[in-house]
Amino acid sequence: MRWWRHVMAMELRKIIAYRSDFWITFLGQTAIQLVVARALWQSIFEAQGVKEMQGYTLEMMQLYYLIVPIGMKIITGENFGFMAREIYEGTFTRYLLYPLSVFQYKTFTYMSYSLFYSVQLILLYMLYRVFVGEAPMNVQDVGNLLLGTGLFFLAAFAYVMMGMLIELLALWADNIWSVAVMMRFFTSFLGGAFIPLTFLPEWSQKILVWTPFPYLVSIPARTVMGLTDLEEIAKAILIILVWILVFMELVKLLWKKGEMKYTGVGI
Amino acid sequence: MIQVKNLRKTFISHVKEPGLKGSLKALFKREIKQKDALKSVNLEIKQGEILGLIGANGAGKTTLVKMLAGIVHPTSGDATVMGYVPWQRSNEYRKQMSLIMGQKNQVWWDLPAMDSFILLKEIYQIPETQYKYNVEFLAETLMVKDHLKTQVRKLSLGERMKVELMAALLHNPKVIFLDEPTIGLDISAQKAVRGFLRQYQKEYKPITILTSHYMEDIKELCPRVVIIKEGEFVYDGALSHIQKMLGDEKVLTVTTDSTTFKLNVPRHDLSKKTQELFEKNTILDLNIHDPSIEDIIESIMRNGVRPS
Repeated sequence: MRWWRHVMAMELRKIIAYRSDFWITFLGQTAIQLVVARALWQSIFEAQGVKEMQGYTLEMMQLYYLIVPIGMKIITGENFGFMAREIYEGTFTRYLLYPLSVFQYKTFTYMSYSLFYSVQLILLYMLYRVFVGEAPMNVQDVGNLLLGTGLFFLAAFAYVMMGMLIELLALWADNIWSVAVMMRFFTSFLGGAFIPLTFLPEWSQKILVWTPFPYLVSIPARTVMGLTDLEEIAKAILIILVWILVFMELVKLLWKKGEMKYTGVGI
Repeated sequence: MIQVKNLRKTFISHVKEPGLKGSLKALFKREIKQKDALKSVNLEIKQGEILGLIGANGAGKTTLVKMLAGIVHPTSGDATVMGYVPWQRSNEYRKQMSLIMGQKNQVWWDLPAMDSFILLKEIYQIPETQYKYNVEFLAETLMVKDHLKTQVRKLSLGERMKVELMAALLHNPKVIFLDEPTIGLDISAQKAVRGFLRQYQKEYKPITILTSHYMEDIKELCPRVVIIKEGEFVYDGALSHIQKMLGDEKVLTVTTDSTTFKLNVPRHDLSKKTQELFEKNTILDLNIHDPSIEDIIESIMRNGVRPS
């Protein structure tokens, strides 16, 4: 077995190492978020006295808020901030000693979480559709689910690269937490995790199309729901790939400068 | 072989005055402080040799080790380890090298050590037979066979250090950097680790650099030592020769009714100094002996005495 498969397998073992934590993460968080979103949007729909808002019915909105939190977990994983902490504490040294690329190693570490949450999305979405949804799933729905999950996985790769750009700043700055929080906020807001992007003004939606944000959350979530067409998906893949290349080059450049600053902590 | 020429490292850090005023001031302007961790050092170590690096905290021992392991870039100077420039971090070099830092974890806390070993086997591309032999040999020698399937975080400090050693040596490195491998261990664990390192050195003959604050580690393992003081080498030579450096001195350990202290006294002044002591103090105990290695090293680190 190649080393990267072992890295991913090991990270997956870490996720399931603590039983109670695993079940809370797997079921508890999603259930709570879903109930809160349902209650919130139900009262908004009732207050407005409408059956549809910006193309979303209450049922669709509930589905959206089932997909989005898990989608966010697919793209952000649970490791975000770890690399900066490892740089501060000097444990980053471990990866510099291995005869392989530190960034390949870290990418596979992050992506193993994305893989885990992708499986969670597929399972929970199917369970929801079977037990709670208005209509049973057909073959096309399954196709949309797999395609959307695939887009989330691709988005996760882009987010890993964006995250590394922020985390590498730890080589210069004493604390990057505020920048990391800002990045998470912008990703959530401009990606459509707080509210669907159709709620934003049209001019801002036109600008966002050229940024990576809609392709991180909104487009994959809408694909799972069957609200995108093939042209939109192809365009999304193309744009996110371009951004991935840009981020990768920036990470290389930043590391080239930053590695000179790494001290491994202590003299 | 390790060759180091004029290797220098300067660290830059920020200084902040204490208190709220200092914190507010630092929001707008920070003072920069430079520290020369290593000041142009030279060194040569042959294959199979084991070198002890001794120095006070912050003397530059770890910095030198980190540079030779390729973790830290130097400010200036050159170094090659088996023909490789360490900080270029070629995979060929890293496959033959190992760094063990006593206070840092290389194995994963949340998993049993065996899981980490399996991953390391793939990372270092260790052939199956060699891997099996090494796990068996290392676990047997370090007496941790029963702990390999236990979550690392649940092991004692000594057991953790032993599995760290195992992880670092699985790929049979030709160069080993040991940065305080016995730190925090109890006496029996220290002995076990030392015994293991001696046996490993005998069997595989790697180049080894060992830093330690425990003189027992150095005395038992290192025929050659380098003493670093404030980033400079003040002694590089055989440990057995170190005692000759203060050969014309005797150490007086004096216990009075209020305190105990040590005095380094030239041999020819011994009777005069002893008489003075008895006249001025109420002596409860007086011990005259040759300086120990610890005394000499302490004296060198304190006074910067250079070999004659």
